[in-house]
Amino acid sequence: MQKQKIDRRDFIRITSLSSGSLAIGFLVPGFRSLDLPAEDCEFFQPNAYIKIDKKGKVTIFFSKQESGQGVDTALPMIVAEEMDVDFRDVKAAIAPFGSVRRGEHDTGGSQSIMEMYTPLRKAGAIAKAMLISAAANQWKVKPSSCAADKGEVVNTITMQRIPYGELVCAAAALPVPKEVSLKNPKDFTLIGKSEKRSNLKDILTGKAQYGLDLKVEGMVYAVSERCPVLGGKLVSVDDTAARRVPGVIKVVSYTGTGAPMHVRAGVAVIATNIWSAMKARKLLGITWDEGDKNKESTEALFKTFAEKAVQAPQIKVFEKGDTGKNAGAVQMTASYAAPFLAHATLEPVNFIASVKAEGCELWGGLQLPDWAVNTIASDCGIKKENIKVNLALMGGAFGRRLHFDFAIEAVKIAQQVDKPVKLLWERTDDVQFEPYRPANYHQLTAGTDEKGNIIAWQHHVLGTPVAYMTDGPNNPHPEEMDGADGGFCYDVPNIKTGYTPVPFNINRGWLRSVDICVNTFPVESFIDEIAARFKRDPYEFRISMLENRPDFKTGEGPGSFTQSPKRVAGVLKLAAEKIGWKEKRKPNHFIGLATHSFIFAKSYAAHAIEIEILGPKKFRITRVVGAIDCGLVINPDGLLNQMQGGLAFALTQALKGEITISNSRVLQDGFFSYELLRYDEMPPVEIYWVDSQEDPGGVGEVGLPTVAPALCNALAAAGYRPRSLPIRNEGFSWV
Amino acid sequence: MPIFNLNINNKSYSVEAESDMPLLWVLRDLLGLTGTKYGCGVASCGACTVIMDGNAVYSCQRQVGACVNKKITTIEGLSEDGSHPVQQAWQKAGVPQCGYCQPGQMMAAAALLAKNKQPGEDMITAAMSDNLCRCGTYHRIKAAIHIAIEDINK
Repeated sequence: MQKQKIDRRDFIRITSLSSGSLAIGFLVPGFRSLDLPAEDCEFFQPNAYIKIDKKGKVTIFFSKQESGQGVDTALPMIVAEEMDVDFRDVKAAIAPFGSVRRGEHDTGGSQSIMEMYTPLRKAGAIAKAMLISAAANQWKVKPSSCAADKGEVVNTITMQRIPYGELVCAAAALPVPKEVSLKNPKDFTLIGKSEKRSNLKDILTGKAQYGLDLKVEGMVYAVSERCPVLGGKLVSVDDTAARRVPGVIKVVSYTGTGAPMHVRAGVAVIATNIWSAMKARKLLGITWDEGDKNKESTEALFKTFAEKAVQAPQIKVFEKGDTGKNAGAVQMTASYAAPFLAHATLEPVNFIASVKAEGCELWGGLQLPDWAVNTIASDCGIKKENIKVNLALMGGAFGRRLHFDFAIEAVKIAQQVDKPVKLLWERTDDVQFEPYRPANYHQLTAGTDEKGNIIAWQHHVLGTPVAYMTDGPNNPHPEEMDGADGGFCYDVPNIKTGYTPVPFNINRGWLRSVDICVNTFPVESFIDEIAARFKRDPYEFRISMLENRPDFKTGEGPGSFTQSPKRVAGVLKLAAEKIGWKEKRKPNHFIGLATHSFIFAKSYAAHAIEIEILGPKKFRITRVVGAIDCGLVINPDGLLNQMQGGLAFALTQALKGEITISNSRVLQDGFFSYELLRYDEMPPVEIYWVDSQEDPGGVGEVGLPTVAPALCNALAAAGYRPRSLPIRNEGFSWV
Repeated sequence: MPIFNLNINNKSYSVEAESDMPLLWVLRDLLGLTGTKYGCGVASCGACTVIMDGNAVYSCQRQVGACVNKKITTIEGLSEDGSHPVQQAWQKAGVPQCGYCQPGQMMAAAALLAKNKQPGEDMITAAMSDNLCRCGTYHRIKAAIHIAIEDINK
């Protein structure tokens, strides 16, 4: 057992909630709460709480939203473990917006387990200690004569038992203990065992209610026609034909917004049903003023990237040693590129807004609702204290619902009609107007000795940064360099990396695995190219630069992380061993490897991908081995699901995912032109994890970054070297 | 507006709608059967798959006027309690992540297995390849279909 002191500022009994139950509130230290001034912390307001009712059922109210990543299952497992209750008696629920401290609802960055593991264990242990004390008082024995077992307190002398539910009222009157004991992880009986998702039955019977399924009394429906060029304005609209469509109530227009969300100017059709609105939308006659940024193209953008790539980076990011003086005897250089990408959640974004004189009520899936409320307040002229948000289950997020452009639109439309409005983005809207993963380009230069040992490493990243959109083009730190900054894990004495931002008139946002995915593709490809040039085994080559390097800090102060090259090597070893790297290959079969650290989620992953070459540039993926080290594994089934699904997500990007732009317009308009990986393209996959007692890291994004480089390294072993994604553009085909 | 009589999940429904309204929106917005999902509206994703007279069809592509005298089954009618072999198999394999596409996936699988209790791999692939899953649960969908096949052939 581990004794833990409890700081009264961090855990409290919430009397306002504890009528007929025991409620314990606590503060989950997240990014935002760390920024709070000290005086705000004096008046303790929790950002999460657990509540135990008279039937012994436990609910965790927390500020992390479920979108398929499995927090609704893994987090209850942690509480159930420390409380000694049946996992099925613990449920997770989103804390109603406004019931916890403002600014704390934040789902993203694979942070949920990392942030909540210790607070949830302590909250569970506190609840258990208070229930034991309540039972001990009733029996008039010492708490040390009592134990917890399967949702009951046991008197270890008389073997009498009292269920938790019968003790909650007495426990709610007791003080929070000053110290509790946490279990020794080796005594865990639940953490580390697979549990199926807790809301499975609702999903499987069609009862799960996503944002798009919600219905509000008196609700009407809207779809919107948007200016084809970002930043353009509405000149005129002829809605005569549209208004004649049966069911149409009204046609309204709204202006665009600037940073952070860049809502486009639009014309919305409001109707009694969505079908009427969709039909009428097609009959609108609109004249737009496109503005002067209507000639952007991705073709020109990549030419600009290539020109600027050979110049010095605009922003210096990381420097170690001296790459000028110590250039190495042999010089190598290569450039890599990847396109804009759309999130393409299967549930397209949608939102319900009701605006009345006294305030505004909202319904929908948002990963950062506080940011949404603040921005809606300023963009739409509504007092933020008068905005009520009802958070909904999300049919996929992947970072799309960190943005809330659609929510601002819904409010702007609802301000012009006296009923609640549900705004739907049709699939074409979803693919054509979203905040895209930035296009990017990389110039890599290495100097080596005669044996290929890397003396100097330079990485120039060029991109269209998200920060230029969310914060405006004057942001001095737009760089997207995770994986290519101070955390670069290979042991190279001289390193120089930098970033060049290129303005481009299309909205951008964060996509699952963000810049780590962007930068791991060129890094892991180039490492492989160096190994190949010197006929070094790409596995041994990597291990030689990782295995003996001690852990190091990536920088100073907040925002710096500990990088562990040994763990980067560890997952590579596991992947290589499981795929049989050292064994003889079958004819026409080739294996590629890649490894990385997903540094801000404190997890590490590698992939080994085997392909069979079937003809010129034609291949089949015959085997994929993924290896992950995310510290202590809470729910192995959840881990497997994220790694298996992450593979599919990453293969879409590697093989065919691409948004192209001409005349500032996105050329793709749905799943026929923006294709996702399909059932018949899913290769056989095996996932392994490192048995670890390190504190748990995140998992949701970790399985993506090494997929594309491992696949490209396999193709390189077969005699090809794709340097741009998706590889379909380089003439590859697959079965 | 015309009135249409529909047979959905062995119940009779009478709906007033424009005759070109897709079955998808009739189900979701007029009848409150929101288990059938909108994903694209143009037959490119399979999220809206229902079973009509034994065939898996895209409800976004069927106008309500063409659905009269058809036997329609939605996810709500596959079984109310999740006891259908396909739902059971999905449960055992722990398929869903976000879950949004899964009603469509299960309807496609249920239609296949209702016609053929022992489909070969090629038939499964043909039946399932038009249903997209952005979370990437294909590996488990495959496992679940094999669990269901085993179950219905016991």
